[in-house]
Amino acid sequence: MDRKDRVARLVDHVGNPRHKGVLDGAQVVMPGGSPECGGSVTVYLRGDGNGRIEGLSWTGQGDTISMGATSMILERVLGEDLTMDEVLAFDYDVLLQEIGHDIIGNRTRHATLGLSTLKNAVRKYLRERLRLGGV
Amino acid sequence: MEQEIQQKGYAHPEALVTTGWVAEHLNDTENVRIVESDEDVLLYDISHVPNAVKVDWVEDLNDPLVRDYLDPERFASLMADKGITPDTTVVFYGDKNNWWATYALWVFRLFGHDNVRVMDGGRVKWEAENRPMTQDVPSFARAEYPVPTRDDAKIRAFKEDVDRHLQARGPMVDVRSPGEYSGELLHMPDYPQEGAMRGGHIPGAANVPWARAVREDGTFKSADELREIYEGEAGLGQGDDVIAYCRIGERSSHTWFVLNYLLGYDNVRNYDGSWTEWGNLVRAPIER
Repeated sequence: MDRKDRVARLVDHVGNPRHKGVLDGAQVVMPGGSPECGGSVTVYLRGDGNGRIEGLSWTGQGDTISMGATSMILERVLGEDLTMDEVLAFDYDVLLQEIGHDIIGNRTRHATLGLSTLKNAVRKYLRERLRLGGV
Repeated sequence: MEQEIQQKGYAHPEALVTTGWVAEHLNDTENVRIVESDEDVLLYDISHVPNAVKVDWVEDLNDPLVRDYLDPERFASLMADKGITPDTTVVFYGDKNNWWATYALWVFRLFGHDNVRVMDGGRVKWEAENRPMTQDVPSFARAEYPVPTRDDAKIRAFKEDVDRHLQARGPMVDVRSPGEYSGELLHMPDYPQEGAMRGGHIPGAANVPWARAVREDGTFKSADELREIYEGEAGLGQGDDVIAYCRIGERSSHTWFVLNYLLGYDNVRNYDGSWTEWGNLVRAPIER
């Protein structure tokens, strides 16, 4: 995919964001980012108690890279039915390469905002499940 | 002089042009270079004002290694690439109420490129007026731009300048949000590298969030309205030697533009080290 197509894909995700909205019954609500710089997102997560993701969504506002990349990663996680362990193991560089370093430049933080917040949401979920005696 | 700008009573009305003026000068590429500078780096790719070039504050204006701006050689090269000569009138516009446009303008001024303007209302006004946008990236012949001298002293403040200013009880404006000013917000969760070890503000600084200078349509408020804010509320006065700061010096460049060009304050400096420097300094005085 050339640069123009990859930009168009991000723009499409911003215009038609996937899995965006507040998740009813979320067990974790995890904020991330900065509204003054690049963007901020909130990830909503519900687990099935066995390490799988039962519900996932996001809200947020920010620039094209941060919002587009957040929509892309959630689409991928839900589309491929990734487990929580797989989300934690997901390599940031895979996402960066998919978007393209030629687009991201030094704005790596913007591109990884959604994924890093999602990982934090999963960690919080697992910590709380552990505390309550289950996964 | 454009009446629409003239009516607002600025000290230097020539620093602003209207969207209408830009529309009339789109093809005056011999004399005018329109520069888009955004926070959202992809906006230019999505669409931009015809014949506008992009200058990105991260990729183009920052030194890639040291926390500083580009050196004079790189600035000259950047200007040459964009087809800008020392005589070119550079008109900046961008997203977020021209936040990054004024930041780019401030950096241009460090290098003595004084023939600069801002398109009042920025990108949002241009779009709201349904003016033409394009994805075509213009190509200009490489220009001759002699390597300039960078002079930081007049419009840029360093930590030592702030120390002296503090001792002299000089006026300062903290243009961050009230939460950052009060110290409630150090940084957003997960981004400690963007924040500081301590929250609050430099003692004596007044808090005027930068965007208060702008109307809902993205244009700057009139001089009377601005005076009411910066002089009536924040206590500044004509002739004051003022230092403005924020988190990394971007929002405060907007306030620097307002005070310097629109209200005619001749001695305004932007402390770009800002809170990411001051809030991490050992024993730096802080007020909450």
